[in-house]
Amino acid sequence: MIYFDNAATTREKPKEVLDAFVYYVTQIGVSPGRGSYSLGIEASRMLYKSRVTVAEYFGINEPNVIFTKNSTEAINLFFRGFLNKGDHVVISPYEHNAVLRPLEMMRKEGLIDYSVIERDDLSESNEFILDKYTRENTKVIALTLASNLTGRIIFRSSLFNAARQRGIKTFVDASQGAGKIKLNMFADGIDYLAFTGHKDLKALPGVGGLCSRETLDFNPLIQGGTGVHGHEKTNPHIFPEGYESGTLNMPAIWALKTAIEIVSKDFQERSVRTKALTEELMSQLLSLENVTVYDKDFERVDTIGFNIDGYSSNEMVGILDKNNICTRGGIHCAILAHEALGTVDKGVVRVSLSEKNTEEEIQELIGVIKSLGEK
Amino acid sequence: MYIVFFSTSNVFKAEELLNRANVACDVVPTPATDRAYCGVCLQVEKDCDLSTISSIEFERIEE
Repeated sequence: MIYFDNAATTREKPKEVLDAFVYYVTQIGVSPGRGSYSLGIEASRMLYKSRVTVAEYFGINEPNVIFTKNSTEAINLFFRGFLNKGDHVVISPYEHNAVLRPLEMMRKEGLIDYSVIERDDLSESNEFILDKYTRENTKVIALTLASNLTGRIIFRSSLFNAARQRGIKTFVDASQGAGKIKLNMFADGIDYLAFTGHKDLKALPGVGGLCSRETLDFNPLIQGGTGVHGHEKTNPHIFPEGYESGTLNMPAIWALKTAIEIVSKDFQERSVRTKALTEELMSQLLSLENVTVYDKDFERVDTIGFNIDGYSSNEMVGILDKNNICTRGGIHCAILAHEALGTVDKGVVRVSLSEKNTEEEIQELIGVIKSLGEK
Repeated sequence: MYIVFFSTSNVFKAEELLNRANVACDVVPTPATDRAYCGVCLQVEKDCDLSTISSIEFERIEE
């Protein structure tokens, strides 16, 4: 079986990540912040260490990390808490529904408004984009690090730094590319960052988070048990615990810590390998007359979106699946990007690579495409 | 002497900083009846140097 759906979830995790998960479950097995006995204290210490590792990875020198179950929850936590009635937000046309939907719901509720940068304008200067799309009430510009549909890198640190100079806060959805593009929140002008563990950070499903330069000072997304200030009838204004109601997925958080340590260590090696594989796949696809590759001329992560003349994306995914090749078709929860690319009707076939893939696997994919009859 | 914090995360941040500064400390259950603080705190020698954790909000509770 050939797995080319790493943008959804990286399937093969490092052994050390699985070992960390098993260690936590079998040797610790209790929840942080829920007991003042030795084992509970050790669990809380491990949670703190995990925050430090995540914070350092994203270039912040304080453990300002709220753990959530995934990036979607972190994004909702940020928008619902940070935005107030009358605020305006600027986003790209490549945002995942995890960004679009909370904003659209808040717009429908009459709380906020947002503007979408046109695809052609993404290549314009910082000044042009900010002049055209921001308003007096623009509170934040939110960009995905990379498109989950085409792999195109959307985040631009110079744009974020320019926005901050105008008093606009910046938010990056690093769900795609957090393990492939090294970010430093301070140098890159990022005020807030949402991440998920189970994609290219190589951790397990069920953990993500929100990182911030400063401690958060807005309402949490959910109310409930926090392990501190139990006498208060609503969540205490305590960072970070006040934002993490309910029992955390600590086994996955501890595994995430290990995953980030591994990703950091072999960052360069993986990057060289996946870049070579991506270039090979791109070159092969572009050599085929019946293939349209989207965003082929842009800097990218290891994801390529394409279509084949006469076939819908879902048809192609079915054909590839019969050949034991896992790819993804359809809308990919990125409706804005399909509207911008003109692919709403047929969707896009997405191949997303990891360092575990091989040139031989790419040849097999190309072989299947070449074997298709004309339609 | 006990040092108590509002946030559990800060208990371990303080532990890390004090360990780096070679100030002996132990994480222990918070003995105070004051409910404003989290369930664990640091136990330290009475006259130890706490300057390394001055950026963190905490209170001293004498035994």
